[in-house]
Amino acid sequence: MEQFLKKLIHEPLVQFLAIGAALFLLSGRFGGSSVPQSGQAGRQSVRIVVTPGQVQHLTAQFTRTWQRPPTETEVKGLIDEYVLDEVSYREAMAIGLDRDDPTIRRRLRLKLETLNEDIAAALPPTDRELQAFLERHPDSFRREPEVALRQVYLNPDRRGGKTDAGARNLLARLRAAGPDADLAGLGDPLLMLPNDVPLSTGSEIGRLFGEEFGRSVLALAPGRWEGPFRSGYGLHLVLVTERKPGRLPQLSEVRTEVEREWLFARKKEVQEAVHKKLLERYTVVVERSPVPGEKGSAVAATLPATKAR
Amino acid sequence: MRNRNKRVQLGMAAFMTMTVAFLMMPVATPVYAEGSPGLPAPTSDVESSFPAQKHFSPYAGRNFPTQAFWGDTHLHTGMSMDAGAFGARLKPEDAHRFARGEELTSSTGLRVKLSRPLDFLVVADHSDNMGFFPRLYEGDPKMLADPTGKRWYDMVQTGGQKGVEAAIEIIVAFSQGKFPEALASLPGSQAYRSAWEETIRAAEKYNEPGRYTAFIGYEWTSNTGGNNLHRVLVYRDGGEKASVTEPYTTLKPLGSDNPRDLWKWMNRYEDKTGGQVLAIAHNGNLSNGIMFPILDTFTGKSFDRAYAETRAKWEPLYEATQIKGDGEAHPFLSPNDEFADYETWDKANLDFSVPKKNDMLQYEYARTALQTGLQLQRELGVNPYKFGMIGSTDSHTGLATAEEENFFGKHSGVEPSPERYKHPMAQTPNGRLESYDMVSSGLAAVWARENTREAIFDAMMRKETYATTGPRMLVRFFGGWDFTAADVKGRLPAYAGYSKGVPMGSDLSPAPKGKSAPTFLVAALKDPLSGNLDRIQVIKGWLDEKGGRQEKVYDVVWGDAGKRKPGKDGKLPPVGNTVDVKEATWTNTIGDPELITVWRDPDFDPKQPAVYYARVIEIPTPRWTAYEAKRFGVTLPKEVPMTTQERAYTSPIWYTP
Repeated sequence: MEQFLKKLIHEPLVQFLAIGAALFLLSGRFGGSSVPQSGQAGRQSVRIVVTPGQVQHLTAQFTRTWQRPPTETEVKGLIDEYVLDEVSYREAMAIGLDRDDPTIRRRLRLKLETLNEDIAAALPPTDRELQAFLERHPDSFRREPEVALRQVYLNPDRRGGKTDAGARNLLARLRAAGPDADLAGLGDPLLMLPNDVPLSTGSEIGRLFGEEFGRSVLALAPGRWEGPFRSGYGLHLVLVTERKPGRLPQLSEVRTEVEREWLFARKKEVQEAVHKKLLERYTVVVERSPVPGEKGSAVAATLPATKAR
Repeated sequence: MRNRNKRVQLGMAAFMTMTVAFLMMPVATPVYAEGSPGLPAPTSDVESSFPAQKHFSPYAGRNFPTQAFWGDTHLHTGMSMDAGAFGARLKPEDAHRFARGEELTSSTGLRVKLSRPLDFLVVADHSDNMGFFPRLYEGDPKMLADPTGKRWYDMVQTGGQKGVEAAIEIIVAFSQGKFPEALASLPGSQAYRSAWEETIRAAEKYNEPGRYTAFIGYEWTSNTGGNNLHRVLVYRDGGEKASVTEPYTTLKPLGSDNPRDLWKWMNRYEDKTGGQVLAIAHNGNLSNGIMFPILDTFTGKSFDRAYAETRAKWEPLYEATQIKGDGEAHPFLSPNDEFADYETWDKANLDFSVPKKNDMLQYEYARTALQTGLQLQRELGVNPYKFGMIGSTDSHTGLATAEEENFFGKHSGVEPSPERYKHPMAQTPNGRLESYDMVSSGLAAVWARENTREAIFDAMMRKETYATTGPRMLVRFFGGWDFTAADVKGRLPAYAGYSKGVPMGSDLSPAPKGKSAPTFLVAALKDPLSGNLDRIQVIKGWLDEKGGRQEKVYDVVWGDAGKRKPGKDGKLPPVGNTVDVKEATWTNTIGDPELITVWRDPDFDPKQPAVYYARVIEIPTPRWTAYEAKRFGVTLPKEVPMTTQERAYTSPIWYTP
């Protein structure tokens, strides 16, 4: 039986329903009658009961912060602060201080959206779904091609008008010397960048030399000195020594990554769908004062349920 | 793992050369790891400087950091109450995705992407008011019995779009109060989870050793009287340890606004979990004289040794530059430094409640604080202000943007728009901060061996870091007693640096006999996307015979050296300016892509304690305001600066007699 229950708990649907129930519970506990509605004076209750559960909660929070239980004095301090919080909360709500406060409105929206996302994320994807996702978004998971290269640097600032001729000369020399050319003393100094770059992706090379350079060298076939290519520093003659093509990995190699991306996409999808669904329950009317000099005052309806007038 | 190794190799290769590789060895020697680039075998002098290294392979036994990793240690998302109030809707998860290089939509609906991904990020939302979110906890099998449950069950089993529909139905049923009663009777004690858990969860999900480091962290926002004493907390650990405790807050009775209490909390965390945390202070410029005081602000008395020890232990770094002003130097404190007045914010404290007075400045800026540290060390035996440098954004948009041409502002109220320059960044009854005063800055560079939480955190602890105002120039700074000009001729600045000296963030070893002054090996390579380099300076702070603070800026190497010489006053003439403000462009026809030199302190007195750091300055480039004007076709007020000279500040090297 215990086994069965354990298994059930891991059923997505069970988790799913549990969430719904939790929400319901929350609404009963925190959204219900115990909180005075704003604008209703809120005088029906002047009683604040600090339950053992609440004291426990305060104590637990302190313990988690300080990694030790609070002393008796500290507990008293925590309770006093809690009571003041509660009083202020009730009074503020009673006179409607929660209304028209962008901080509160945005915070509540954030909370609602977080809730929606959690529900969306509560359903773990199946392998089939992940496989399909991988196939639909191959570029997000593709292993980039890699090259290893050797390079010689030319500083156009230093060489001025002779840069091109210098590059041509040097290229001829390097081609004559071949892939194993001794690079000592060739070109201009750029000491903090390597002459030899091990197998790296275009973006890794791009981070050292600039994106355009990364793209250029990725297109080269191995074995022959080429160039010059422009980088963020100047010009380079380049020999690609090795090239490893890119590939689409198997699901098993990138499962964690695919699942993370799948969940992110799912959350977005649910979020948008929920927004839409909730909007359907409202009639939105946008009233705008006419802009002087413009005929009419119609405003484009950007939301499906929005009416302009 | 494969990736990590390769990155290490690439980075390592960046500081070594293979010029002699082909003289020394056959290509495919078995001792080499597969895919290794074929580094030179160690020469005899290198070998002797690495006594442990008796291997043929230059990789074996090599244990110095080979790559600069780039990050932002100070980013807020919509989870921060103030960020949310300004309209930030991006959350920690979005922040990490953006830092990893993804294009996304900002809170104001603009598409945005970084020019290059970051290597690491600390999402540091304010711990006060982090708040709680409904907790969605594990389920109860009884729910399956309900007929509505059964229908949802079928939808879920179908998967795909049906799953989405089921999710929506549940949400809508709930919000309309139509959730089946039978499903609503659930046990459960804790109905909430904290924003802290959300932060941890996002970091855990996106942390990818070797590729991207998502640090767990938060900001402790002590701001009593509007005076900024904020600290960002960074965890070396993963969620398992970090989630054992709650972040420290500033409000009593749970928290405190005194950093001493924060350090106690940190100590408690480490004791309990065996984990590690560090704290990074920022915006001394808005502290009104209490960030680096000489007397204890909270008691008015002298500091004791315990204070100095504790602060030095927990706060290895200082955030020297960010959107709310640059904190390296102030022109009032450094009147002879023509670069000191850089993006200075010195009108008042953070909330504008108390205007700034000149005598506060000495306790606010990094350069002077380093000298004050030397004074306190004399008095207490320990230097409380022995910090390294980093920069970060402190952006409240969920977007770590520090580049001039891609600047999304301090908060979502001042994201790019044709109207942005007209809006204040902040307004209080006492004053107004213009949005065009925002600084598109900064970044943290960390020299580490690999991109992991552990390696980067450890590098932060040993202060092998530097700050930049946004560009990613590579900077090396080593101190020792016998660097020579020959060390900058070879292609091994890092080899020479580590073998003959100590890196940024360290103490100089005691002077060997016969050495009369310390030498420094300093090198910088421009950001491939940014401006050329104007110059490198070494900034020295020391105590004179009377124990007074002294400082001097030395130009040690500069671009266009062929035609640029210091004048009679010893000042190097400006590098020039190629910026076309109207078009927001510039050319790299002035300055140099790389600068490197060995500098010997000409004014060294072995009896005087001293602190040295390097400042690298770029040629002028368009400030973010120039891009704004160009892209939106607007004219900004005359007083708005349109060019900038971006820079880097290294962590210092200290000399103690």
